[in-house]
Amino acid sequence: MNVMEINIFGELLIIPTDVIAAWVLMIIGVPPVLYWITKKRHWPLIWDYATSTNHRKVGTLYIFFSVLFFFRAGIDALLIRLQLATPENQFWVFQGEKYNEIFTTHGTMMIFFVATPLLIGLMNVAVPLQIGANDLAFPFLNLIGLYLFVTGGTIFFLAFFFNAAPNVGWTAYTPLSTEDFTSGPNNNYYIMGLQVSGLGTIFAAINMIVTILRLRAPGLKLTRMPLFPWATLFTSFLILVAFPVLAIALLLLQFDRFYGATFFLGPQGHPVYWQHLFWIFGHPEVYILALPAFGIFSDIISNFSRKNVFGYTSMVLSLALIGLLGLMVWAHHMFTVGLGPFANTFFAITTMMIAVPTGIKIFNWLFTMRRGVIRMQTPMMFALGFIPTFVMGGVTGVMLASAAADMQYHDTYFVVAHFHYVIIGSTIFGAFAGIYYWYPKITGKMLNDKLGKWHFWLFLIGFHLTFFPQHLAGLNGMPRRVYDYTWEDGVFVYNFISTIGAFLMGGSMLFLIWNIYRAHRKKEENVGGDPWDGRTLEWTVPSPSPEHPFEKMPIIDRRDMLWWAKTQDKPIPVEEHPRAIPISTPTVQPMLIAAALFILSFGFIYHWIWVQVVGGILVLVFFVNRAFKDERIPAYEKEESEDEY
Amino acid sequence: MKKLLMLTFLFLLSGCNLRTLDPVSETASDQAFLIKLGFWIMMVVVGVVTILFVAFTLKYRETDKNRYDIPKHEEGNRTLEIIWTVLPIILLVCLAIPTVIITYQASNISANPEETVHVNVTGEQFKWTFEYENGKKTHEKLVLPVNRDVIFHLKSKDVIHSFWVPRLAGKKDVIPGTVNKLEVVPNKTGTYQGKCAEFCGILHADMRFTTEVVSQQDFEEWLSSKKK
Repeated sequence: MNVMEINIFGELLIIPTDVIAAWVLMIIGVPPVLYWITKKRHWPLIWDYATSTNHRKVGTLYIFFSVLFFFRAGIDALLIRLQLATPENQFWVFQGEKYNEIFTTHGTMMIFFVATPLLIGLMNVAVPLQIGANDLAFPFLNLIGLYLFVTGGTIFFLAFFFNAAPNVGWTAYTPLSTEDFTSGPNNNYYIMGLQVSGLGTIFAAINMIVTILRLRAPGLKLTRMPLFPWATLFTSFLILVAFPVLAIALLLLQFDRFYGATFFLGPQGHPVYWQHLFWIFGHPEVYILALPAFGIFSDIISNFSRKNVFGYTSMVLSLALIGLLGLMVWAHHMFTVGLGPFANTFFAITTMMIAVPTGIKIFNWLFTMRRGVIRMQTPMMFALGFIPTFVMGGVTGVMLASAAADMQYHDTYFVVAHFHYVIIGSTIFGAFAGIYYWYPKITGKMLNDKLGKWHFWLFLIGFHLTFFPQHLAGLNGMPRRVYDYTWEDGVFVYNFISTIGAFLMGGSMLFLIWNIYRAHRKKEENVGGDPWDGRTLEWTVPSPSPEHPFEKMPIIDRRDMLWWAKTQDKPIPVEEHPRAIPISTPTVQPMLIAAALFILSFGFIYHWIWVQVVGGILVLVFFVNRAFKDERIPAYEKEESEDEY
Repeated sequence: MKKLLMLTFLFLLSGCNLRTLDPVSETASDQAFLIKLGFWIMMVVVGVVTILFVAFTLKYRETDKNRYDIPKHEEGNRTLEIIWTVLPIILLVCLAIPTVIITYQASNISANPEETVHVNVTGEQFKWTFEYENGKKTHEKLVLPVNRDVIFHLKSKDVIHSFWVPRLAGKKDVIPGTVNKLEVVPNKTGTYQGKCAEFCGILHADMRFTTEVVSQQDFEEWLSSKKK
């Protein structure tokens, strides 16, 4: 049964059964959770996290919601794989329109509401501690960024429940995404969801840049920073360049859709303009996802090899170079558009050049391990899994860069395989490594190593089973974004293996859930500040990291200061008169601003003028209120009066 | 690691009959050459990384013997770093030069009015229309003469589509408001799959056609007949 007809007030509603199943699941599933929270008296804890501007708590929430969205988008992936398991398959409702909705949701969610915020969450948790800062430079802005991400994600998430999921792919190519070809609210959800969360991402980037440039501990020169803060710094600059372009592109698309502007179709407009704008954002976005993961791996490989990073300077320079080159390769997504051979070869060559700094990083990681003592614990396992996986994704990237050959690869499963190799290989492996690595710093508890290894191996094997055959399916002529293929296409075996692999990956995630549940089931003792025998500053503070971890600022005079102190058996010297700390007071304002934006967004999505007006006024009121009423003022006054004595 | 090698083997095994690697025109042969060239050059990279990776993880893993060792501090090594900067550049140049040449060739449209067959290709949701110079129109079937120059003039009635016959040539987008051109010379008779490669809406997956490459005589006959 694919649809259900429901008669409400004389109006016939036709609802697909998957939407009904989701609603039923929610109605059955949510009350027990609420009951459990109430019974265990967790509401104060939740309220504390919802209003706190502390970087660790904000970071934890980023990670929590990203993982939640990861499960949602992962289930989408499994449904996609079920539909594609055999030729001419008719799995449940997932053909035609429904299939288009589900791959759009999977892609958009994974990129914007899983990969990006997962990394921002880890930055939030680790970067301030690694550079000896007591918090991010703008704690209030940080919490707003979190709420904008959660709100954007929720708007996008809800689309499916109102049977209006976006259906034009995460790239939303015009003119298919304009009102003429896809009317209705579906793609308005895409625009508003990304617009709201994109703003939050920009805020987070500004915050990271200022924090890293201004709040480092005394003596911690930029050249003494660990590589994760370095990667965060470059990533934040990339976000500042890329995300405003996305915001503009979405705004233009919104004008095309809502008010009949013709930026992307018609006598003045052109559909290819969208592709330029989208990829000027979209390609740096790939590096926004990869660079922080590189940073995490650098720290972890160094830590678990008990050795400093090999070729530190070239590691930093290659991060910078990858970021810079990442801004000038966007048209390699458009080799088949007909930009002409000059543009095509130009972008082919710039793209190939990226392989050089990336190669430098790979070899430096390998040589960091050489002559070290490699401890095979879960974070390191993910880092080790990353190296060959990412290299395989990288080399197909170079193959794709070859413009004339790309005319064969383009928009086939070869490309699908390639970008899953690089994004899962770097971002998701990196995020898992980071979560296992910093989990003690976030909670004071350690995740079980044995379960972690089960998670790792199943995920790795499932991953290669899923995506390796897709290269071959693509070379055999299977285009991406098709819900169906025939026996004559000769891609059945590849797809069937792919489906098996996908379920292995899905199954491996259960080990993570079980691991986290196990860690919190009983009150075990705290693992202490330095469970991994670390090298960097975050391991000098207690776990979980307290509100003002560096009350006395450490004075740094070299890289890997903690390691040096441990091997020399000397304490890290501290500054007696620390500088002013960013003030963090609990606040509900970000929540209210996000709620107002939520109302405004739904006004736009459904063209309800009055809701737009109310939402808009509310947002403005909160801005003005914030401008004149700063809840930190009492704290500042207190600090000033203390300084006088 | 074993998995990596096994999969590579699989790749090679099935490489012989994959459509994009089984070309029936000069253009597609060039592209298949680039695919293979890129693959082998990159296998060098994968090979080197794999060897170092396996060697280092096996040799330097923690054992009871080295558990409490503290490795020596090692800043870097300039010679090594220069090697792994320069060698990849050389490998990339080997790929870049043929890429540039073939990309220019693939975009070059010759103008030989006598010999060339022109086909107007129109994409729309969700079918193709092939119109020949004498006005003959078909939808599901594209018929081409062997060993003759064919130029496709690609137009779209609505959204972006992409015209793709994997064994004949790489794809070219079909964009509203623009006419893209694609030139091929089929060199083998037979029947080949054609597809829309750019996502274009609900029935994107069904937007297929067959390409029949026939002898020049058969083509002329077919063209002047009323048969579809």
